[in-house]
Formats: sequence, C-alpha cells, structure tokens
Amino acid sequence: MRGIEKSLPEFASQGILPVAISVDAPEVSENLRRKRGYTFVFLSDPEAEVIRHYELLHPRGGPDGTDISRPAEFLVDRSGTVRWENFTEDVRVRPRADELLAAARSIP
Amino acid sequence: MLNCHSMADTTIRKHTLAPWVGLLLTALGALSNGLPFIGFPAAPVPWISLLLSLAGFGVVLIGLWQVFRQSRIYKGKVSGSIAAALCLLFLAGSIAFFWGARHIPAESANAPQVGQRVPDFTLPDSTGHSVSLTQLLSGSVGNEPPKALLLVFYRGYW
Repeated sequence: MRGIEKSLPEFASQGILPVAISVDAPEVSENLRRKRGYTFVFLSDPEAEVIRHYELLHPRGGPDGTDISRPAEFLVDRSGTVRWENFTEDVRVRPRADELLAAARSIP
Repeated sequence: MLNCHSMADTTIRKHTLAPWVGLLLTALGALSNGLPFIGFPAAPVPWISLLLSLAGFGVVLIGLWQVFRQSRIYKGKVSGSIAAALCLLFLAGSIAFFWGARHIPAESANAPQVGQRVPDFTLPDSTGHSVSLTQLLSGSVGNEPPKALLLVFYRGYW
C-alpha cells in the first residue's frame, strides 16, 4: 500500500480512487493511516460481511482465529462492474503500483 | 633416543569460517522472510529467502566436511557442530515460512468475475463515517467522478 500512496497522483490522473478494506476497526485503520501517512480511504468491515459477499473470506486467518479477508484487488467502474481483479496466492506478494496502473490504463 | 613427534602433532590446525559463514547466510535467509512486512518489495523474497538459507546450509556442510574429514588441517568439531545445529533450526524456519505463507486461504471461485456487477455496500471509513460504494463511485478524483475504484482487500494489521 505504500506503493499506492506514493503513486496517488498517477492513480488520480487515471481517474482511479483507491479504497482499502479489511476487518480492522476504524480506529485501527486510522492509526495505520496516521502511522504510515496514507491518505486514501480505508473502510472497516469488522463482521467480514462485504468480505463474505465478495467470497474473500479467510476463516480463522487472523490472530486468535478471527475471520479476515484474503488479499485481493478489484477495479470497479462507475456501473459497478468489475473490470480487473487479482487474487494473491502468496500473502507476501501484492501487485505493485505500476501493475495496478497498467490495469487501470487498460480500462477505457 | 630422541623423542620424535610425528608431523601430525606439530601441524598447526586452523579454524574454518565455513560453518559460521553458512550459519550467517541461513539466518539471513530465514530473517529475510520478515522484509515484506516492513515494506520491502515482496515479489522476489520467498525464493531469495529459501535459496539463501539453502546456500548457507551448503556452506555449513562444507565446514562440517572440513572439520570432520580434514581434521588434520581444520579444528573446531564442536563449534562446527553447534553452528550446523543452529543452521538447521534457521533452515527449518525458512522452509516452514516459505510453505506456510504460500497457503492459499480461500477458493474464491465464486468471487465477482471480470464483467460481473458487484453488490453495493456501506461501510464505515476510518473516521467512522458511513460510506457506500455508490457514493465513492459518484464522488470525485481530481475534478471528475472516478473512472474506477481500486478496491484493495487486505488481511488487516494487528
């Protein structure tokens, strides 16, 4: 996500609005934003409802066995249609900002 | 009669650095698994970590061979064995982390596909305000509504 923050101007020029989502509570996300200097939107899904809707649930994947999201990225256009997506198999390997920008550019 | 010492008694045996260099490499390999969590680009890390640890283990094996098989030249069987034991611990950790972290948590076969419309949702942002997908899509990036949202689902930090 550091890559996303650093490339925010490029994302903006592509008309892309990054939105991060996890089961973390708003306070936890706000702490993270302040600590890391993230300025984009962070949403909280503590019951993993949306995460479940998107079929991204990682049951008991968190500490103390909490249900969390598996890592995944989606580009969703104004009609709410998915135009690009990525499901990470290795939790340590996330798409880099330039890969995300390339995906964004491929949307007319 | 002169008491002659054999050549082996008077040869000065030397230390080999191999067990410790190998241990260092293996330890670095194991510890490098933590790099992505502090912001280091994660893509090459899994393989680099494992290869580093295996290389270190190889160097330790060379060291063991030196102290046990070439014991006339090298000394340090005990320290070499200790280094090898520690190396095995790090190597085991490296391998465990490599396989464990690759675990794919969910099938996600029914996740939204490209071309599918996603359901709207409303969630609180980090200040507690409720925000909906629709609101975000009709908001603005620069001076215009966004072309698309980049939804980044992540595991969460704790």
